[in-house]
Amino acid sequence: MTEDFLLVRETSEIPRSGSVADAAVRVRGLVKRYKDGTEANRGIDLELHPGELISILGPNGAGKTTFLRQLTTELRPTGGSIQVFGVDAVAGPQQARQLMGITPQDAGVFGSLTVSEHFEMFARLKGLGRIAARQQAVEVIESLGLAAETQKRVSLLSGGQRSRILIGLALLGRPPLLVLDEPTTGLDPASRMAVWGVIRRAVTDGAAVILSTHYIEEAERLSDRVGIISRGRLIACGPLDELLGRLERSYRLSYRDPFDPFGKLCECYFASFVEAQRAVARAQLSEYSITRATLEDVYFKLAGEHFAGEQVTE
Amino acid sequence: MRRLSDIVCVFRIQLMSMRSEIGPFLLAALVFPSAMYLFAKAVSSTSATEQTQLRFLAGSIVFSLSLTSISWLGYLLLENRFTGRLKLFATSALAPSSYICGFLLFAFAQASIATTTLLLMGRLFGLQMRPSLLPLALVVTLSVLCLCGLGVVIAARARSFTEGSLLTDALGAGLVFLAPVYYPPEMLPHGVRAVSQLLPTAFAARAVETTLAGSYHVGAELIVLSFMAVVSLAFGFSLTRWREN
Repeated sequence: MTEDFLLVRETSEIPRSGSVADAAVRVRGLVKRYKDGTEANRGIDLELHPGELISILGPNGAGKTTFLRQLTTELRPTGGSIQVFGVDAVAGPQQARQLMGITPQDAGVFGSLTVSEHFEMFARLKGLGRIAARQQAVEVIESLGLAAETQKRVSLLSGGQRSRILIGLALLGRPPLLVLDEPTTGLDPASRMAVWGVIRRAVTDGAAVILSTHYIEEAERLSDRVGIISRGRLIACGPLDELLGRLERSYRLSYRDPFDPFGKLCECYFASFVEAQRAVARAQLSEYSITRATLEDVYFKLAGEHFAGEQVTE
Repeated sequence: MRRLSDIVCVFRIQLMSMRSEIGPFLLAALVFPSAMYLFAKAVSSTSATEQTQLRFLAGSIVFSLSLTSISWLGYLLLENRFTGRLKLFATSALAPSSYICGFLLFAFAQASIATTTLLLMGRLFGLQMRPSLLPLALVVTLSVLCLCGLGVVIAARARSFTEGSLLTDALGAGLVFLAPVYYPPEMLPHGVRAVSQLLPTAFAARAVETTLAGSYHVGAELIVLSFMAVVSLAFGFSLTRWREN
């Protein structure tokens, strides 16, 4: 089923209409093969439009970061093409980068600089004048809830606050494309919410955003479309409802096994709520819940493995 | 214009970062070389000639340039690369050459402070000199470029932070002690002498000593240092890329 789905997605999902310049990002047949023969990306096609946010999901090693690093021109593709607002990102990486705000994974910050210095300096590096850089720095600092920390040295901030700085740096200059590689990893729930707000505002203002994440909830709440990468291939890409609708059995029954001395947690899937209820009655379950399938279930069905390697018995 | 602004930004970021690293900078650029000057003077003889003392001061200036340009600059470049800070520059549409030029500007600033202070220190220790300033500035500039090139190459090629910092430290000090900087070349064994006199620090020390004595005859050294600077920087620039294969 997974393979059939895969073929359907790759041939029909991506809209073919519109000129190259209409799309914020147009990726075709992207392949990355490393020297040791590992194929990290195996023919990825993707299109993203202004004012749209797409989340890229997938477990560690699936090829998400490799994909984003090629998109941000950090890594040279082995094959395929990448266009950013009509600019060939493979041939003209610097020109393409000028259109992007990027939050790379594992980026560091300058601990000796204050928060405002950090933002002002990197705003200048994005081509803003002194006054504009200062204004943008103030705006971004406020939007990320770092106003109280403006004059603090970055080395004195918490890990979450530093992560917010990295996200803020991507927003400087209001780039039309944001590429965020796991931007909220390690943030506490309140910080994450603040970051979500900032990202959604950027989308509302017309920015195209591509975001990789390990958090299903983040993808569900933020995305216009969700892409799932598994073993180097984009095995699904579409709006959340559409992806959920592709599940044949979209109701999940979770229950404690009444015959297991430790009350092992079990799950099984049904095509309808009524069917799930019948199963409950048949098995005379006392401790159970019936919920709609989630993005994780979609991932499981498509990729044949659980997201983030969770173990679930059935 | 944009490129110039980028270079100044990189320079300013490094300058701001130095606020918390002023101690190690003073140690590398001034304290260590000054101590070496006093040490060399003490062990040479009780009555070191004026010319010998000029060589010691020239040696200390070159020592300072070597420590700040190779060890210190290399360390900063390595730190940026291995702590993820380089990604901030690489993702900001900054050209790799502007990044390196910003560092070179930073190295010039350090070299100017260190050389001026060491010259003043020489005066303070009673050394009589009438340095020819223009050639001295040229020699210092070319030496910094040449030595920075080596730092850039190590920072770009090192496989780990530890490997890189060990190499920059070893080279920063080693190039000074291997070359006849604090002692005359005749004191070296024959086999080593020829090689050591080809080191950039040997040319730099000879040229600095000549300019400290008030002479302008440093043409040959300037040509060699220019050549070395072009080669090392060209190699360093070619290795500094934002994009991996």
